[in-house]
Amino acid sequence: MKWITARRRHPLAGYVVVILALALFGVGYAALAPTADQAQAQTLAADVPSPDDVDIAEGKTVFDQTCASCHNYDGSGSYDAEGNVTNGPDLRDVGPAAIDFQVSTGRMPSMDPSSQMPRKPMAMSEQDLANLIAYYNAEIRNGESGAEVPYEVPDSEPNRADFEDETAYEAAVEEWESEYDSYIEGAEDTDMGMKLYLTNCAHCHSWSGGGGALTDGRWAPEIHDASPREIYEAMVSGPGAMPMFSDGAITPEEKHELISYVKTLQAEPNAGGVFDLQRIGQVAEGFIGWVVGLALIVACAIWITAKQRAHD
Amino acid sequence: MSKTTQAPKALRGVGNFIDDRFHLAKTGEKNLRKVFPNHWSFMLGEIALYSFIILLVTGVFLTLWFKPSMLEVVYDGSYERLQGVPMSEAYASTLFIDFDVRGGFLVRQIHHWAALIFLAAIVVHMLRVFFTGAFRKPREINWLIGIAIFALSIIEGLFGYSLPDDLPSGMGVRILQGVILALPLVGTYVSMFLFGGEFPGEDIITRLYMLHVLAIPAVLLALIVAHFMILWHQKHTQYPGIGRTEKTVVGTPMFPAFAVKAGGFFFFTFAVIAGLSAFVQINPIHLFGPFTPTSITSGLQPDWYMGFLEGSLRIFPNTFDFSVFGYAVPIAVLVPGLGVMGMLFVLPGAWPFVEQWITGDKRVHNVADRPRNAPVRTGLGVAGMTAYGVLWLAGSNDILSETFSIDLYLTTYIFRVLVFVGPVVAFIVTKRICLGLQRRDRDTLEHGYESGTIRQLPSGEFIEVHKRNSEETTEVLESKPLIGSTALADDADVDDKGVENPESRKGMGKLRRALAHWYTKDNVSIDGVEAHSGHHLHHSAPEGEKESAH
Repeated sequence: MKWITARRRHPLAGYVVVILALALFGVGYAALAPTADQAQAQTLAADVPSPDDVDIAEGKTVFDQTCASCHNYDGSGSYDAEGNVTNGPDLRDVGPAAIDFQVSTGRMPSMDPSSQMPRKPMAMSEQDLANLIAYYNAEIRNGESGAEVPYEVPDSEPNRADFEDETAYEAAVEEWESEYDSYIEGAEDTDMGMKLYLTNCAHCHSWSGGGGALTDGRWAPEIHDASPREIYEAMVSGPGAMPMFSDGAITPEEKHELISYVKTLQAEPNAGGVFDLQRIGQVAEGFIGWVVGLALIVACAIWITAKQRAHD
Repeated sequence: MSKTTQAPKALRGVGNFIDDRFHLAKTGEKNLRKVFPNHWSFMLGEIALYSFIILLVTGVFLTLWFKPSMLEVVYDGSYERLQGVPMSEAYASTLFIDFDVRGGFLVRQIHHWAALIFLAAIVVHMLRVFFTGAFRKPREINWLIGIAIFALSIIEGLFGYSLPDDLPSGMGVRILQGVILALPLVGTYVSMFLFGGEFPGEDIITRLYMLHVLAIPAVLLALIVAHFMILWHQKHTQYPGIGRTEKTVVGTPMFPAFAVKAGGFFFFTFAVIAGLSAFVQINPIHLFGPFTPTSITSGLQPDWYMGFLEGSLRIFPNTFDFSVFGYAVPIAVLVPGLGVMGMLFVLPGAWPFVEQWITGDKRVHNVADRPRNAPVRTGLGVAGMTAYGVLWLAGSNDILSETFSIDLYLTTYIFRVLVFVGPVVAFIVTKRICLGLQRRDRDTLEHGYESGTIRQLPSGEFIEVHKRNSEETTEVLESKPLIGSTALADDADVDDKGVENPESRKGMGKLRRALAHWYTKDNVSIDGVEAHSGHHLHHSAPEGEKESAH
């Protein structure tokens, strides 16, 4: 304590205390803050069960256990007397693409039906999802209503935890990569993809796909973690506040160009420097210009004009 | 020593040759010995000057390849992602600078970062001048020139931002056109004239280019030179201190000490800007893609210096819009777009004259105020900063909403309230802090400074020992000016014959007296306070007399 006592009136003592306090809060926050929103895409491209593998009875179990409490056992949803959704909407007309999108992005099953769900790791296994979709198609869906799951569009990268050994996992990743690359490179027309994206998507999800704020406390999520298939499904099913872009409005070929444009832009290296400021743009640039650029120059001005301080 | 040393013969020859023709020796000697007061806050304007030089040099480099044309071309340069995409020549040539000109990308980023630093430096320089009262007589004209430089620089920046014809550029130009259209009666005509037809037309980039590289920089350069020559002529202000009076400047001579410092400082400024440009990506136009009138994106703002305008547009309610004979009068664009912009230049521009009118102070001021010693002015300055800051933040409300998970509409309402309440609170708080500091100054002047040493008196009482201030501190503290106003003088209402002055009975006279009262009423007087006359000092004497303790 004597050491501190001797120095607590040092001219720099105040700054040291502030820096220590900031460090304490920073480290403390980093230690305590939940990290759950590190969304990891967990679905398996290589492991998609073929339609022969599915077990409709299993699917019914999954539905009754995880979906029916809000959406009702027959998928008719729960509504109050005026016809407003109370817990979950009617699922009978939404189609399997919507089911696949909501479950594979972890948004369903939802913990809180009244608020917008963030992207989360999928709550069930790939097999359970396949069973669930088979059960949905067989028992709940109204005929052919809604969009089909676009199985030809690549899904997310395989997850190591779903494979028994390294070799199987690596083989799956390799297969997924070639499928993904051929899909992304299969699109030729950057201009079309760009115009479609900037006309239809960017005013909510922003030019970079980083997402943005919407009205009434909603937000358009970042789409960087979404697989091409999930982006496709979001377009055909229109989840949440998002409008539906059916295959009639934007053809499957155009969707292909659009998805390829977004994914290529996302993978684009930052030619301007190692710090991309998360592509937030001018707000971040202005912030750095002031707190790094100008602050450093002013610090230099203070340094070169400093004189030996007469103690006062 | 220098008088006895002769210059080398070769130099002497050249020197005499030049001097015989231009008589530079005398002027040169006088100016090289010119004294500059030493303080870091006097270097802020230099940051702006140096950034401006960097902007000129890098700008010249960029013009070598940039093509200010809106002619549509199909891109086939070396940036693969956009090959085959139709775009304007302006955008294609910017891509060429980025990817095919050696060092082009770096220079473009230096140009952009330097622009951000340039305007930031102008702002902090203006704030320094405002808060220290350095705009007072005889420097009012230079203050106005400074505001003109500030205004032109904002426009210069906006036009430069618009040139590459990328997505944010086009959106910025679209907002500019919207504000022009909002002008009553002439809006559509001005817009059609500027754009050579409907938006976006085929002329705007060419016209903005001419303004950006020729017209505005020429005026800016002239204004900066004038600013500098007036500064040179009037000499720099200085802070109070020993030997510093209205007539005597204390500082470093121009040559060699100040010149070396200033030269080094240029390189440091350049280094920081170049460092940022090398490592931090700015305005990645190749990622944005070219502008088309159908394209629109969220999450984009103008550069920071236009942020306050963006913010005022965002939070201004549209309930005041009305129509006259079927012609819309969009108040929600007119007031925030032009009114707020006008306020930013008119209010600071008018202040020196308003202050002079309130105080009636026509004296020449070469010693700057300490901000605390002009509490109302300082409070007003901080209130202005707060209003600007709130609008500035409002311009990024979507980013704030997303980053901090706040309802977007809620941020709008918060800012609508804050833009009125914030400045009032800021004024009151700042003024109180200033007065508190004044009180502490008076205390320090009277008692010396707290030494941190606790001493026990023979009676058992503990006291803190106060020590004598340095000469410098005493001088600074005693220099506190008395803020008064001729409007409040005893004879303000009557002339020397005892006749009532009719002016003081009229509305303006009453207003002036009220303002003068408001401007001067709260001040801590140091009248009758003698340095080191306070009680505590006695305790530092070894005897420590008890009865003087309190």
